[in-house]
Amino acid sequence: MKKYINIRYFLIGLGISYFASSCVDMEEEVFSQITAENFFKTDEEFISALGQAYSSLGGLGNHSGLWSINELASDEIVISTKGGDWFDGGVLLQLHQHEFLPDNPFFQNSWNFLFGGINTCNRLIFSFEKLDNPNSPAFIAELRSLRALYYYWAMDAFGNIPLVTSFTSTEAPDTKNRREIYNFILAELNETIPLLPTAKSGATYGRMTKWAALMIRMKLYLNAEVYTGTAQWALAAADAEEIINSGPYSLMPSYKDNFLVNNSGSTENILVYPYDKVFAGGFNWVMMTLHINSQATFNLTQQPWNGYQTVEEFYNSYIDPVKNPGVQGPVWKGLALEQSTGTRDGRLSNFLVGPQTRSDGSPLLDAGVEVFDATGRNGDPNGPPITFMPYLNEIWPQGLRQAGARIAKYEFERGGTNNMSNDFVIFRLSDVILSLAEARFRLGQTTQALTLVNQIRARAGNLTPFTTLTEENLLEERGREMYVEMTRRQDLIRFKKYGAAWWPFQGMNRPKRVHNPGSYLELFPIPAPQLLANPKLKQNPGYN
Amino acid sequence: MKKQQRFAYLLLSFLMLFAGSLAYGQQGQITGKVTEAGSGEGIPGASVLVKGTTRGTVTDLDGSFTISASAQEVLVFSFIGFETQEVTVGNRSVVNIGLSQSVQALNEIIVVGYGTQERKEITSAVTSVKSEGFNQGTVNDPRQLLQGKVAGLNIARPGGNPNSGFNVRLRGISSIGENAEPLIVIDGVIGGSLSTVDPNDIESMDVLKDGSAAAIYGTRGSAGVILVTTKSGRSGKTVVEYNGSVAAENVARTIKVMTAEEYLKIPNAVNLGSNTNWLEEVTRQGYSHVHNLSLAGGTPSTTYRASINSRNTEGVGVNSGFNQLNARLNLSQRALKNKALFTFNLSNTNVDRRFGQENAFRYAIITNPTTPVRSDRPEDRPFGGYRERDIFDWFNPVSIAEQNIDDRRENRLLASIRGEYSFTDNFRAAVFYASQRETDWRGQYSPKTAKFGGGFGRQGLATIENRERLNDLFEATVNYDQSLGKVNLALLGGYSYQEFFNQGNYTQAGNFLTDAFTYNNIGAALDFANGLATVSSFANSNRLVAFFGRANFNLEDTYLLSLSARYEGSSRFGANNKWGLFPAISAGVNIANLVSMPGVSAMKVRASYGRTGTQPGESYLSLLRFGRQGNFFYNGQFVPSYGPTSNPNPDLSWETKDEINGGLDFVILNNRLDGSIDYYTRVTTGMILPINVPVPPNLFPTTQLNIGEMVNSGLEVMVNYLAMQKSNFRWSTGVNFSTLRTNLRSLSSGDLSFGEVNYRSNFGSPGQNLTQLIRIQENGPLGQIWGPVFDGVNDNGSPKMKDLNGSGGYCNCNEDRAQLGTAYPTFNFGVNNSFSYKNFDLNFFFRGSVGHYLINSYRGFYENTEGTTVQNYNIVNTKYFDPRINKAEYNSSHVEKADFVVLDNATVGYTFKIGSGRAVSRVRTFLSVQNPFMFTGYTGVDPEVRYGDAESGNDPLAPGIERRATYFTTTITTLGLNVSF
Repeated sequence: MKKYINIRYFLIGLGISYFASSCVDMEEEVFSQITAENFFKTDEEFISALGQAYSSLGGLGNHSGLWSINELASDEIVISTKGGDWFDGGVLLQLHQHEFLPDNPFFQNSWNFLFGGINTCNRLIFSFEKLDNPNSPAFIAELRSLRALYYYWAMDAFGNIPLVTSFTSTEAPDTKNRREIYNFILAELNETIPLLPTAKSGATYGRMTKWAALMIRMKLYLNAEVYTGTAQWALAAADAEEIINSGPYSLMPSYKDNFLVNNSGSTENILVYPYDKVFAGGFNWVMMTLHINSQATFNLTQQPWNGYQTVEEFYNSYIDPVKNPGVQGPVWKGLALEQSTGTRDGRLSNFLVGPQTRSDGSPLLDAGVEVFDATGRNGDPNGPPITFMPYLNEIWPQGLRQAGARIAKYEFERGGTNNMSNDFVIFRLSDVILSLAEARFRLGQTTQALTLVNQIRARAGNLTPFTTLTEENLLEERGREMYVEMTRRQDLIRFKKYGAAWWPFQGMNRPKRVHNPGSYLELFPIPAPQLLANPKLKQNPGYN
Repeated sequence: MKKQQRFAYLLLSFLMLFAGSLAYGQQGQITGKVTEAGSGEGIPGASVLVKGTTRGTVTDLDGSFTISASAQEVLVFSFIGFETQEVTVGNRSVVNIGLSQSVQALNEIIVVGYGTQERKEITSAVTSVKSEGFNQGTVNDPRQLLQGKVAGLNIARPGGNPNSGFNVRLRGISSIGENAEPLIVIDGVIGGSLSTVDPNDIESMDVLKDGSAAAIYGTRGSAGVILVTTKSGRSGKTVVEYNGSVAAENVARTIKVMTAEEYLKIPNAVNLGSNTNWLEEVTRQGYSHVHNLSLAGGTPSTTYRASINSRNTEGVGVNSGFNQLNARLNLSQRALKNKALFTFNLSNTNVDRRFGQENAFRYAIITNPTTPVRSDRPEDRPFGGYRERDIFDWFNPVSIAEQNIDDRRENRLLASIRGEYSFTDNFRAAVFYASQRETDWRGQYSPKTAKFGGGFGRQGLATIENRERLNDLFEATVNYDQSLGKVNLALLGGYSYQEFFNQGNYTQAGNFLTDAFTYNNIGAALDFANGLATVSSFANSNRLVAFFGRANFNLEDTYLLSLSARYEGSSRFGANNKWGLFPAISAGVNIANLVSMPGVSAMKVRASYGRTGTQPGESYLSLLRFGRQGNFFYNGQFVPSYGPTSNPNPDLSWETKDEINGGLDFVILNNRLDGSIDYYTRVTTGMILPINVPVPPNLFPTTQLNIGEMVNSGLEVMVNYLAMQKSNFRWSTGVNFSTLRTNLRSLSSGDLSFGEVNYRSNFGSPGQNLTQLIRIQENGPLGQIWGPVFDGVNDNGSPKMKDLNGSGGYCNCNEDRAQLGTAYPTFNFGVNNSFSYKNFDLNFFFRGSVGHYLINSYRGFYENTEGTTVQNYNIVNTKYFDPRINKAEYNSSHVEKADFVVLDNATVGYTFKIGSGRAVSRVRTFLSVQNPFMFTGYTGVDPEVRYGDAESGNDPLAPGIERRATYFTTTITTLGLNVSF
């Protein structure tokens, strides 16, 4: 009996001690997620951590982010409301019309893309600083220059933004003005450029090099007058020359080869984001621009969305024999009922225009094509056979489904998915050449400038050289060459054309807001959710 | 393994507490008769039990009995509907006893958290519905049994999809962070799945409505608690019961669209040469049958009930329906000289579902009525001969329904065992262990010829998904009951430990050579070789530990006081806030016992306060987590990249709800009228929401924070009236209603805010993707439907919107938008009438909701004559149709009042007279019609309240939208038979 009691007490005691230790245990057990405790243990994990600073760039090729706000606010791209489609609360129209509202979600998306990237760089710099790893100094230089790229984009779009370089700071940052950000980026680049790799190789593909960092600095100087009030043409020219003369890049013989599905062999691309339909999705221009029925043209796995179109006037700058002299021949123009004569600029490969076919060559038909109504306005002149016409009847509310030249700059893969495998070009040598031309032109060295511009024109194909260089034809040449490479808004501001009226063609309703150079509209508003999240931030002037 | 050890230890340590013995004396034979006190007629089947023993018997047809008992022992006489009586044997050998009918409204047993009480003792807002009060007809989901029966409990299933569940909300919504339904407790198993219970096996459902009743469930009590008690056997005669029914289901409501003839009169109409009624093409009459067989019985020491339930249901949608088989065994055994009671419950459910395609309804509504279903055009050959058109968002509805496969299989296993030991008459202790295993499997296939569902673009697309949810509960309780003078004291203390584990996997792949495999050979998909297949898996767990207690004081059934508390920890809370205390107090006074009032049996005034919580809806929200963020091109190849997916919040805590409730329970007019009235105010604070935070310094743009404050208040009234009781005619009526007012007082916490005003949800594609529909506003009601105000038609045919801010034109900005309605009803009610005449019984039940609005999405997109709309789609043709409007642009004209009254159920039954001594004791047949008609001005499919929808990610802040894939509502006619042996 005594023994029995002892066992009983023993068991009760055991029960209570077990109870006290584990049955009030409230730690979370994690299975399929990674927390701070179970990460950063191996070299592979470090590399994949570095990777996140780059994979943040994957937001470039999507609808509704930084690329969209830059292009839709420029004279290159338009998304007309088609029937009931693409109105989307009016946020697209607002961008076209320069009615920038702080609660437009595209601004918030862009901000998250930029500061998500900045923050990742800060976090990784902090991690590598703490580590005694032989790779650390190189990684840190690389991350600082990548952070400078994000800051450069953020400063270009939003101007006055918070500046955070420390990962451990927990205080919400306040707004720094555009000049302070400019100075910061410049200082970071000056320090890191000598530390970055110079080779063009598989190991540096898709990563920051000395040349990419130099190119950011070149762009800072090129736009210095806009950013700081003081022009820096000579410094811009110096950086451009260094890239051209010392960098491992050369122009590709064919313009369009820089944008092929497999464009990793380009000798011209300085910095790309390598997209891949399997490994790195998110580049979906094929969906954004093509007609629903174009699925049958390219045997795509999904129906495209019939959204992004080229502004007609911009398209016309390629085929205009006066503005863009060159070999004349049949080109699609206006309603595209038949081909007319115009300049056959080799870079017309940027567009998909004219009659469309199925992959077997038979005509592609649109069962939902607009028929003529009493006003004659709504009808599609081409009828059910799908013809992409450069003509845009109106941007709202009854934009024609077949209107507008489509963005075909990046080759569409036959049998492709919604994710394109082309590598997205962030920086390219011809931008450097045209920037050098511009800097020389501004400095009064017109002859050298003309030679550089004609170098680009000669490569484009079917063009005759310019005989004189003016601000107008220089801006137009930049437009034709750099179409949809996210430079146009910046160029228009620098050339003081951003506030001009465009789309002045007949039937265009909802005219764009016209404003003067230096207008507050040259900056986008700080997104409303950011002001809510951080009361220390200040809205840009003019938006309050 | 670790977990099982833990439970074994616990069981051991508690079982050690049980020991004891008892002796008793000399026995003699006692005989007697049990009669009804008023009439003196014998009561057959009454139970006679020697208190504290397993000895007992049941009275015969005359009410007579024989039992052996000693002089000092006590006999307990009981029968359903009568007051239980106890008599000490003394020196008698004959004991005759008259039982008086109990006043059910006072003595009915109410199940409360961790125990039961008689209704007269209840001091909080609790409503009990017994099986005889349940909804009738074809009821496949236990929730539907309660629909409309409980004031303040709103149960809705928009549309008539037999495979979709009911949404349950108590007293409005309790949280805006979590779309929370009441906690379900099945025979003591917290978080039990209602799919483990067949509606036929339910004895009662008790709804704990106020904070004081629910506080004993702590961090899960805020949305209310529904306690489900399954039927169990009784000692005495074995009862075999069969319930069977067959039912036919037909489409009740759709949305009105144009016929081919009407459509062709619209300018720009495209005539494709046929005349198809698409709504008919995708629907059918659905047949279903239900069979339920149960055996119940027992001895004084063993009782059991076993049942098997089979349900075969066809939905009105082509290829939709399910087959379900459920088996249940409830067993209880007394042991150790009657001091120990073991209860064992086991239930298993298998469901095979053909899920059907709700999108077939969506496209049936908008497909051009001149389109033929099938065609032999060469361009339709790739689509399996279904007529397709190469238009955005255009899919042949019959092809959707017939070609795409969506099969699901669900298995639910719930086992529990409870051991209770009575140390003395006053003191007992119990341990309880329950384990629930839920597995879901889903297989989908979209063939190469299916334009909808991805099959065409992906060359055949297969998906396989598995889910597993485990829930293990261990509890130990002690009860102590004592009379101290005139005060009865009941004490409860307990410990609860519960662990949840979930895991699942998902595989999707396309590009098959043949459609022959469907989803059965997914490895044959070329997508794997091409790297285009999607595969994922996950696992997560969470744990709840609690200590709880309750003290009830009862002074002669007149003054009542109850105190309770639960101290609970959840692994989901942040490191700094793992534990919370949830106290409650409630008190009542029965005035009828103090002041004599003619005809009044009870008049109890009560008041209560209770605090409950809501825990975060997912695990790990408080941790800094990293997730896969694409790949990174490193040295010529892609390597995976990881980045933060959440910010840490070590302070993450439960949402707190404080609720006060005042109530009155009454039984008046000589027991013919009884009811209760409740008024409540509940304040919810610290709601868990993702808030925008600055990046940097944060890693991730949102953090899960406890913020804000919300107030709900309302009045609830439930009344039952026995209108007439004659010898062969009886009419009783029951009415319940509730009101609801909500106010979202704040959406901020310190510097951080969700925004004083916030807009949620969007209308959708085409063209209205960023059209916001719902406004959230500090100090405003919840669920504000928001948008521009329709003000006629512009010359170009677009809807003209009112210039509300007087700026000289409509600005397409928030200054020119207004609140257009609210999503929540202000008034809900149910009215029941039951009649019986001789062998006939008749029951009908009306239910309604008033004061809510719905956005009719079909009208917002397709009720216009815009050229492409007309060419591509059919036109919605409600009373609002205005041919001048040629633009789909959401505005106030698409927001409709959705008040409704529905005849939920009408049943007529006939019970056959069976002479005594037959094998069959009861035969009843019935005919039941569900939803034969509905009164509403709403022109959409179903005016039921929407608490959220899949298109808005089930966001509780975005209610009130009828989306375009709503399953049509149905009318069900059921013919049934109940037989007892």
